[in-house]
Amino acid sequence: MEQLLRSVMLGLASGGIYALVAVSYVIIYKATRIFAFSQAGMLVIGSYIMWQSLIVWSLPVWLSIVISLAVGAAIALIIERACMRPLIGQPILAPIVVTLGVMLFFRGIALLFWHGEVRGYGESFLPLGSWNIGFLNLPKIQVYGFIICMIVIAVLISFYKYTRTGLGMRVVHEDHLVAQNLGINVKRIFKYSWVFSCSVAVIGGMLLGNIQGVGVDLDYNGLVAIAAVLFGGLESFGGAVIAGLLIGIVQIFAIQYLGALLPGEITLLVPFVFLLLILLIKPYGLFGLVRIERL
Amino acid sequence: MAINVDRPCGTFDRNYYQAMEIFRTPLRKFLMIAFIVAMYALAFVVDDYIISILIVFCAFSVGMTGLQIITGYAGQISLGHAAFMGVGMYTMAILQEHLGFNFWMALPLAGISPMVIGMIFGIPAVRIKGLYLAFASLAAHFVIVYTINNWRSVTNGTDGMYLHRPEILLGIDFMIDKYYYILVFTVTILMIYFAKNLTRTKLGRSFVAVRDNDIAAEVMGINIAATKILAFGIGCFYAGIAGALGGGYYEYVNVEWFTLTDSIWYLGFLVVGGLGSIFGAIAGAVVWKTLDELSTLMTPLTEALLGGMAFYASAAFSLVIYSLIVIAVLVLEPRGINHRWQIIKRAYRLHPFPY
Amino acid sequence: MAVDIRNVAKKRDQRYSYGLTLLRDCIEKDRELPREEDIFHKTILKVEDIRISFGGLTALIDVSIELKEGELLAIIGPNGAGKTTLLNVISGFYRAQQGDIYYQDQKITHYSSHKIAAMGICRTFQNIALYTGLSVIDNIIAGRHPHIKYNFLNGMLYFPWARREEARQRAIAEDIVDFLEMEQVRNTTVGMLPYGLRKRAELGRALALEPRILLLDEPMAGMNLDEKEDIARFIIDIHEFLRIPIVMIEHDMGVVMDIADRIVVLDFGVKIGDGTPEEISKNPKVVSAYLGSTGE
Repeated sequence: MEQLLRSVMLGLASGGIYALVAVSYVIIYKATRIFAFSQAGMLVIGSYIMWQSLIVWSLPVWLSIVISLAVGAAIALIIERACMRPLIGQPILAPIVVTLGVMLFFRGIALLFWHGEVRGYGESFLPLGSWNIGFLNLPKIQVYGFIICMIVIAVLISFYKYTRTGLGMRVVHEDHLVAQNLGINVKRIFKYSWVFSCSVAVIGGMLLGNIQGVGVDLDYNGLVAIAAVLFGGLESFGGAVIAGLLIGIVQIFAIQYLGALLPGEITLLVPFVFLLLILLIKPYGLFGLVRIERL
Repeated sequence: MAINVDRPCGTFDRNYYQAMEIFRTPLRKFLMIAFIVAMYALAFVVDDYIISILIVFCAFSVGMTGLQIITGYAGQISLGHAAFMGVGMYTMAILQEHLGFNFWMALPLAGISPMVIGMIFGIPAVRIKGLYLAFASLAAHFVIVYTINNWRSVTNGTDGMYLHRPEILLGIDFMIDKYYYILVFTVTILMIYFAKNLTRTKLGRSFVAVRDNDIAAEVMGINIAATKILAFGIGCFYAGIAGALGGGYYEYVNVEWFTLTDSIWYLGFLVVGGLGSIFGAIAGAVVWKTLDELSTLMTPLTEALLGGMAFYASAAFSLVIYSLIVIAVLVLEPRGINHRWQIIKRAYRLHPFPY
Repeated sequence: MAVDIRNVAKKRDQRYSYGLTLLRDCIEKDRELPREEDIFHKTILKVEDIRISFGGLTALIDVSIELKEGELLAIIGPNGAGKTTLLNVISGFYRAQQGDIYYQDQKITHYSSHKIAAMGICRTFQNIALYTGLSVIDNIIAGRHPHIKYNFLNGMLYFPWARREEARQRAIAEDIVDFLEMEQVRNTTVGMLPYGLRKRAELGRALALEPRILLLDEPMAGMNLDEKEDIARFIIDIHEFLRIPIVMIEHDMGVVMDIADRIVVLDFGVKIGDGTPEEISKNPKVVSAYLGSTGE
């Protein structure tokens, strides 16, 4: 029983980060109908920039966070302007290949400047150690990470629901042309979407840098989050959050209970098998919108 | 416009067979034959290094043609193409090592096994429109890599396996690289010819119909689920054959050669070459492998420049530079090299008129 | 319409357009054409009590239609009445929650749309759904897909009989192109054609499927009088030359009254009228819902 609860807690902690990354995918998909694989790369860049400012330049934590978010926003604007804007109206393959290219570009930059070694943040960002609540041994990093994830997601969802810009973003999701005719500045909405998405991904990168260490392979977490996005539905924030947490729990459970049966590292295998099952059973996801085709 | 600028002036068709020909005029037929003869003759003229490059070009042209069938003609996105190439290589290795097949028997099976595996992975994705095959193929990549890594009894895990070239046939010793190149080139020409035939017959048209308007295609009598799965299967068949040919050259295969990055480059350089034409696929493959060779050649230069960082530098440079090239080509000329080439040909033919 | 086209085209051998000889040969070989005594008597398509709803919106409520051999049935009604939905249900694109469809006394209610198309129920679309990357002739040859009789391996290896079959299909497609008088534009990509020619290419593609029943969704939408007369001429030629029943959704009452044998009127998903043009023009429900009266 306590093993079960412990697994659930661990799963929730890693699931929180998958939820964050899934939300970053959903933000861009909602605005532009493009699936931005590049956000997986933003995880890597975010963690490295945080590392650079925190450890190498020894800046205080709040300043490092600000710098990381600022750099993330700047990169978002550059990507949006240089890569995505010229591709509006092209068939769907073009933006996808560009985002994949951007993901690999980030990986290359990370390798180039920081030599791809895995490091941690030490005590500087989030405290190490754990709390013991009864039988539960909760690592502090995981708990803080989870709380931060949930706060960020809550802020984002309320922004979408209650502010005017959020309403504009929801309109843009439905139809760009209609949104323009209603006076909504679609280009600005695209910029906001990319900035939000990259900021969320940078925060995810910072947290991941704590938990998994700062390395080039962080973008695999981004790929796992794809399973979460599909499970929750490509257009749904709530779905992405729930699905992200679920995928985290499923992953931990599978490692615990199936890890003995199957050889080797099944951390990456499990989410993708789950993805295939989702495609078979409920392809549009839990909360996704089923499009009615009109002829 | 009624004027057809893709043919020289005065070329008209007198029957339907002429309209369906690949090389319509005597000049084009002659050029194609001359090109093929020249490529065969090259084998006896150049040294082994160039032959190795040519073999890589041929193998990746076949693989890229497969991806063109999936993506350019049928409009599906496959993110696991390098993994299926690996399946082909490993199938040949397993058949030769564990079951004692020889090269000729193992080659078609090395194509069929990724075809079957691809079709199985494609089944969940074909019912829904959109990106879902991309995700299914991404999942396929991870499942395949995991299986290869951990099924030690069959695949030797991460140690890799050995392949063998064909035995001596009619006095030709395939261990000599140039004869193996002739074999590879022959297979490549045949596969590309089959792909071109595919595009001008019933199945190829149904691929394009499914790409352009799949709901209308369903109502017009085309079974779109079967067509999409078949497109994916045939593309993976080509990937398997490409893998088998390349693996036979190196006589060794290791799962580390088939990363997700390679699948992404497949897709990226396909778009650089141009979607929707066989020439574009070959152009993309040639550009990619040329860049690979260039980066390998530049390694001593980068080592000299950066000293100890060279180990990361070459991987990083290839990642950075290729991605910049792919993004730049997509942003500036989204239809790729093939489109530019058509424009150049058209400008030449219509000179001095602009259109 | 000013000219009554039917009288002009009465004499079979005094045709002023190309006939569809190759296509009719194919249809006579592949499908059974009706006998003389069946025309207007035998039911070829029966739609029974179809009810379909999308979420909260019920598009069709217990609609029943019978299509007899060799007749030209027009479906009219205001926008949103469910006419296109009815056609979508017949061609298998939508799944009705209730109701059945019988084609030549065979129940085809839940058949997939490609099977229904291969059986001979072919349609055109209101918003043109051509294959935008292909030329006109390629679109029509693509429409021949269910009737091309070699498998893909033969195609890839390009055996001689595959090559002959390709040429034969091209001949049939050219026959259709000649009939539709589109020779000049046959090699143009359809994306570059004007609207009227695209509608014609769409009709050609539906013909290429060897229809036994032709379903036309607003074939004359957005056309001027000349183009409408052209399309009407084509429809009548197809009707008489291939002797197949045609179901036509149309808004132009002049065309409908002139060429239709029977008219079905839909309004908000309910059938409110079914009969000959004279009966319909006098039916008070139809007049108040759709046709309008001249006053009083």
